[in-house]
Amino acid sequence: MTQPFVHVEDVAKRWNGQLGVENISLSIPEGAFVALLGPSGCGKSTTLRLLSGLELPDEGRISIDGRDVTLAAPSERNLSMVFQSYALFPHLSVAENVMFGLKVRKTPKAERQKKLHRALEITGLLGYENRKPGELSGGQRQRVALARAIVANQPLCLMDEPLSNLDAKLRASVRKDIKKLQSDLGMTVVYVTHDQTEAMSMADMVVLMKDGHIQQVGAPEDLYYKPANTFVAEFVGAPPMALIDSAALPGFGGVEKIGLRAENIHVAETGQGRLSCQVSECEFLGSETFVGLSHPGTTGLTVSMPGLRNIPAGQQMEIGFSDADLHFFDANGQRLNQPQPGA
Amino acid sequence: MSSLSRYIETAGALLLAVIWISPLVFAFWAAFHSTSDAVNFNLTSAWTLDNFRTAWDGAPWLRYFLNTFILVTVILIGQFFVTTLAGFAFAKVQFPGRDVVFILVLMQLFILPEVLIVENYAMVSRLGLFDSILGVGMPYMASAFGIFLMRQAFKGVPIELHEAARVEGCGWFGILWRVYVPLARPTYLAYALVSVSTHWNNFLWPLIVTNSPDTRPLTVGLSIFGAPENGVDISVISAATMMSVAPLLIAFLVFQRQFVQAFLRAGIK
Repeated sequence: MTQPFVHVEDVAKRWNGQLGVENISLSIPEGAFVALLGPSGCGKSTTLRLLSGLELPDEGRISIDGRDVTLAAPSERNLSMVFQSYALFPHLSVAENVMFGLKVRKTPKAERQKKLHRALEITGLLGYENRKPGELSGGQRQRVALARAIVANQPLCLMDEPLSNLDAKLRASVRKDIKKLQSDLGMTVVYVTHDQTEAMSMADMVVLMKDGHIQQVGAPEDLYYKPANTFVAEFVGAPPMALIDSAALPGFGGVEKIGLRAENIHVAETGQGRLSCQVSECEFLGSETFVGLSHPGTTGLTVSMPGLRNIPAGQQMEIGFSDADLHFFDANGQRLNQPQPGA
Repeated sequence: MSSLSRYIETAGALLLAVIWISPLVFAFWAAFHSTSDAVNFNLTSAWTLDNFRTAWDGAPWLRYFLNTFILVTVILIGQFFVTTLAGFAFAKVQFPGRDVVFILVLMQLFILPEVLIVENYAMVSRLGLFDSILGVGMPYMASAFGIFLMRQAFKGVPIELHEAARVEGCGWFGILWRVYVPLARPTYLAYALVSVSTHWNNFLWPLIVTNSPDTRPLTVGLSIFGAPENGVDISVISAATMMSVAPLLIAFLVFQRQFVQAFLRAGIK
């Protein structure tokens, strides 16, 4: 077992007694793409800033590459950072922005030029060296920020919602670029986002947070197929997992909530279904339509139907599903692998 | 109705402009004519440069110009140095009592420099700077106005830029020098304009603290040159005045656009 590249142990950060993050423990292997995911205010940015050294933890230890950096300055941690606003220096040209850190660290000029050229080549910015950030489009600025992050070849790169200022179309293509860049350069990336599509599609490992606590750490498929608790179940996936009170679906002992994903639900013939619901809304997405259903004791019940459907609200619909697709949660919202038999 | 009030406003503005510029116009007129022609407003009289020749020979003007130039430069450098560091500390460094100290600095704005003239005189003498250009400039270097201006400019710099520079390896001074100072350039320009014109024109304090032609700035030199005991010749005094104000006036006319833009940018940001 090799030492994890980034190791965070029981880290806590509080602001004037208010909760920032608490009990954060993480092990990140070298070369991993880790997404910190969660709703706004969940502490994911704080966690990233603790890793970067822009904030110092009140408790706990952080080590990077085997070195304890809990109290080290950001510049001593051998990392680069991409900010949400890109944080490009408006008075410097693209080339000067990218080379900023190299200049500060007094890299020889010839080497600086070589690294600059390479970084601009990778990010497709050759020819823009002398432009000021103000003369670039949003996507180009974003690439300058990326170029600045990769130019020094730091082993760890922290990204704080780098795509949130781009339009949807650009976001999808930059997402691929960042992923490719990361695997080509072998960087370890810690990536903060509130967009689960970004987290699920890019990351090898997703850290889902809520209210300053880690809810679940795992591969994207683990979060999707084995949510650790009801929060994860309701956060991950589009549409999120439906939760059914055990009272509404009896037969499973020791279970408080039962989770069910839309793709595992099928519409049943009258009298054949396991739950009888009312249609509450239809959401047409092109290849499929999400039909929202309401039933007492359930939240977020949705069935996905192919093509365009226009079912009037209030219509009765019976649904069926198999027991194998159910997820069980106890009274604390924690996942149960098997319900106790009987009731 | 509204058009009438527009006319009144325009007329008022013109009137104020005429009142403001008339002494300058008269001085300009007098400087280029003989005294009798000047005071009689003899519009057809011949233009002459004799007054300038007389005035130039009457006092060590070159020395005065040099003194004033050194004075405003020394003050400006000192102010940039002090206000940059102080403004940065008040804007971005957390230290106990910061707000109290800042309010104390701002209170300096309430106090006219003339009130402190005796105390300043004693202080400059104690420091052994009496009758030196550094002594003339010293009391103005820690300018509360400048500190306030720089603090505001630095506060407007996005924190991400500060953090990005930190991650890239800059220390406090590196960040100040590479990020804050370049971004505050319009503010520096606007402040330089105010500072240079104030100290180019400053009279009372240099009059008191200087004692010899070697340190005397233009304003003091001009007043001694025009003092009644030397005989009052309006045209020659006007010529000397024109010489004194010319560099600043020409600089302003040439760089007018940049100055106004600097002020706008410094203000809006």
